[in-house]
Order: sequence, then C-alpha cells, then structure tokens
Amino acid sequence: MSSSTITERGDAGQSPGGVWAQSADAFDRWIAGDPSALDDLVRAMTPVLWHVVRAYRLDADAAEDVIQSTWLAFVRSSATILDTAAVGGWLTMTARREAWRVSKGAGRTTPTDEEELAPHLPRQRSAETDVVEADRRDRLWGAVDGLPERCRRLLRVVAFENRPDYASLASELGMPIGSIGPTRGRCLAKLRVALIEAGEL
Amino acid sequence: MSEMSRELMLSVVRSVYDDRDPVPDGLVTRMQAAAREAADDLGFSLEVELMTLLERSSELVGTRSDAATRAVYTLRFVHGQVDLLLRVAPEGERSRIDGWVVPPEPITVRVVHDDGSTFAAIISDTGRFEIPDVPLGLVRLRLEPHDDRAPFVTPSFEI
Repeated sequence: MSSSTITERGDAGQSPGGVWAQSADAFDRWIAGDPSALDDLVRAMTPVLWHVVRAYRLDADAAEDVIQSTWLAFVRSSATILDTAAVGGWLTMTARREAWRVSKGAGRTTPTDEEELAPHLPRQRSAETDVVEADRRDRLWGAVDGLPERCRRLLRVVAFENRPDYASLASELGMPIGSIGPTRGRCLAKLRVALIEAGEL
Repeated sequence: MSEMSRELMLSVVRSVYDDRDPVPDGLVTRMQAAAREAADDLGFSLEVELMTLLERSSELVGTRSDAATRAVYTLRFVHGQVDLLLRVAPEGERSRIDGWVVPPEPITVRVVHDDGSTFAAIISDTGRFEIPDVPLGLVRLRLEPHDDRAPFVTPSFEI
C-alpha cells in the first residue's frame, strides 16, 4: 500500500533511473537535430536539480539562479559531454558545485531551513483522497523531520541523484569522504525505524 | 538494509520533499526559455549547416566466399576551413570509423545513427579520432567545435 501511494507522484518523485533514461534520450534527440528535445531534457531534469540544489540551504531565488546557470553551462558545454547517458550526472554535478559555491558565499542561504517554516498544509486533493491520505503524509513528513539535519540534506541529494559521486558530496556537505556511505546507511536506518514507529512500514 | 528497502526509503524521501518543497510554479517553463535562448544564441536552433561531400572511394575486402563482401570506404567532406577525411571499415557485424580533421582543433565528433543512438569522440592534437563499434545503418557525423561556432553535419551515408 505504501509504495503504490508513494509512486503516484509527479516527475520529481519518479525513481531517478527513469529520469536519467529520459534525459539521455532527450539529449540524443537534441544532438540528432530535434530542437524541442532540449525542452524535454529541461522538463525531465529541472525538478531533480531543484531538490538537489535546495539541499544546500539556498533560498528559492538563489536556487533558481543556480539552476539557470546550470542550464546555460550545459548548452555552452554540451560538446564536452561525450557519453550522452551521463548527461543527468553532469547536470547534477554542475548544479551541486555551483550551489556549494553560492552557499559558501554571503547570505543567500536561509537562516533556518526554509522548508521547516513551510506550513504543513495538505495540498488540494480531490474529494475521494482524503483525511486518511493527509494523515499518512503527516506521518511520512514527521519521520523525515525527526532525522538530524545532515541526514535530511544527505538523503535529499542521494534520493534525487543517481549514484552521486561521494568525494564531491563529502567536501560539499562537510563530511569525511569515508563517512558518506556509512552516514547514508545510518540515516536510512534511522528513517526506517521512524517509519516503523509511525506505522508506515 | 536490502536494495529494495533502501529504494523504498529513498522514495519516501522523494515524496516528502516533493510535497513539502515542490518545484515552484513556472520554474520548468522559465528554464526551458533560458536554455532555448542560450541555444539560439549559439546557433543550435538554426538549420544545421551541411558539410559538402568532395570525394568518395571504396575498395572491396572480405572476399572469402562464406562472408558477405563489405567495402572499406573513404569519404572526404569540407565545411569552411574544416576538411574531414573518413575511413569506414567493417569490424565484425559492426563498423569502425577512423577520421582526420584538418586543421586540428578542439572539436567533438558524434556519429548520429539512424536508430537514435549516438557515439562520440574528441579529436586529438593531431586531428585524428576513432569511433569503433558502430552498428550498421545510415549515419551522419556531427562536428561540434568547442568554441562558439554552431555545429555542422555531414550528409547521411551508409556504413
């Protein structure tokens, strides 16, 4: 039951593998001379870039600037991406580097996690999806909220990325390289316990 | 934790962030416009310029009676100052393309196959490149200079 609800999400909720394959296909079509394929690539990858960049605690405007400069860099540098299947990884890596650079600089990060201030209002739902669904979502949110901040940031990047490169993640999130894998494992285990306690697993 | 359990946890994380910090309205449209404008500025959206075929020659190889006879081709294309020489040779059930660009400069060469796949190489300091293991069929080569020039392509040819 839980997985069926979880997968009925928008693009960003898709497993990264599907998004990555769509992106590679769009890049191939763009190279083959279909200008509209660039729109498809941007549509597939922008939600992923949003979530990855927001894990660096940038406010919405700063995050949008980073995503835009990522797309401009992509158009300018596309000739250097030889393996079209790697385009998703190239985009997220470029966006993470830029997000990290901006987040180290002056005051464009949110003082407290902006996401935590967002009201936990249920999205508009059709009548038949209901209180049960809203309760369930609250429990999922609560489980993620209960994680330490470094877990939330790391898991957000890892969840939307496809096999992120640990070395760059480590320096960007201020963790030793060797600790990324174990930290990810501990964070996932904590989330699992929280979901079990919330009755969601 | 099993792979499946890990993937389930990560899908929970995705769904939570999708709900709680969704992609802002209009972001995708704005990024599409920005990317398209950048592509227009670089001439990506114009009708792509075609290289001109100057010469084509072939020699027969593989004359063993039990093997299909396939030819080795050489092709020569030009575009502006760029001269492209290609040798297309059979390699098992596939083909191999060896090329030489004069004058040598940083250019990415991509084989754009009729089946939708692409294969790429960057030309070396001496102007050489090789793209092995290309499936048989109709292909074009697309040359992408690493400076601000728009890409240009060869006409289609059979390999």
